[in-house]
Amino acid sequence: MTTPEFDELIHAPTRLSLVSLLAATEWADFKYLRDAADLSDSALSKQLTTLEDAGYVDIRKTFVGRRPRTSARLSARGRQAFEAHVAALQEIVARAGLVL
Amino acid sequence: MDPIDAELALAEVRARRSQVIDANSIPSWFWRAIGVLMVMFTAAVESRRPWLVAIGSVAYGIGLATTILLVVRQAKVQVRPSLIGIEGFLAIFGFTIVLVGIGVGLGLGLEAAGVGWPATLAVIPVAFGLAVGGPRLMGFLRRLMRSRPLAGDR
Repeated sequence: MTTPEFDELIHAPTRLSLVSLLAATEWADFKYLRDAADLSDSALSKQLTTLEDAGYVDIRKTFVGRRPRTSARLSARGRQAFEAHVAALQEIVARAGLVL
Repeated sequence: MDPIDAELALAEVRARRSQVIDANSIPSWFWRAIGVLMVMFTAAVESRRPWLVAIGSVAYGIGLATTILLVVRQAKVQVRPSLIGIEGFLAIFGFTIVLVGIGVGLGLGLEAAGVGWPATLAVIPVAFGLAVGGPRLMGFLRRLMRSRPLAGDR
């Protein structure tokens, strides 16, 4: 059972989009995240760094041939925080009597 | 926090999950291509003409590799297996078992009845099942993944 806990870091709109994408994936390619969230390279890097610093995201850098490839995934801590945040949002909605 | 904002945030979470699910789906043409390749390969092998077996095998190998490569290149991201869950894996397993059962059962039956080209004839309904059932299976898996709770899907 997930204990609801509102997370300010995750709730910022861009990060909520990114973490939601990552929550549904295994490793996600940098290019995929950039295009899916409609962000610039620098904006995505900044958000991923913030999430990585919080311990919510793992970053992996590999090479495909000579090309560097950056991927990201939600860490166990990040997944826990995301689920707690979603549970908190659901609790707010349920308390207000809105239909989920 | 405003409940409307919370609901909007939840809608965003759901939309992003759907985005991943849609980016990950296998296109309908994949199933038809695999079906056609299977029928061609089986017919080539059953012809028992070495040159046709050789050409059929090479064409099958190249065709299968190309088809899979195209789908893999198109798939931009890998969905979490926990979203598919046990029901999803059972559906995939059941779909495979039913098609294999039809193919093997029909093939053996036709051979026992002395019908010519039994394997080729048996693989035709299997190919049809792939072409029709594959997209339906994907549709079922997409609905299943979308229906998972947003929190605590592990």
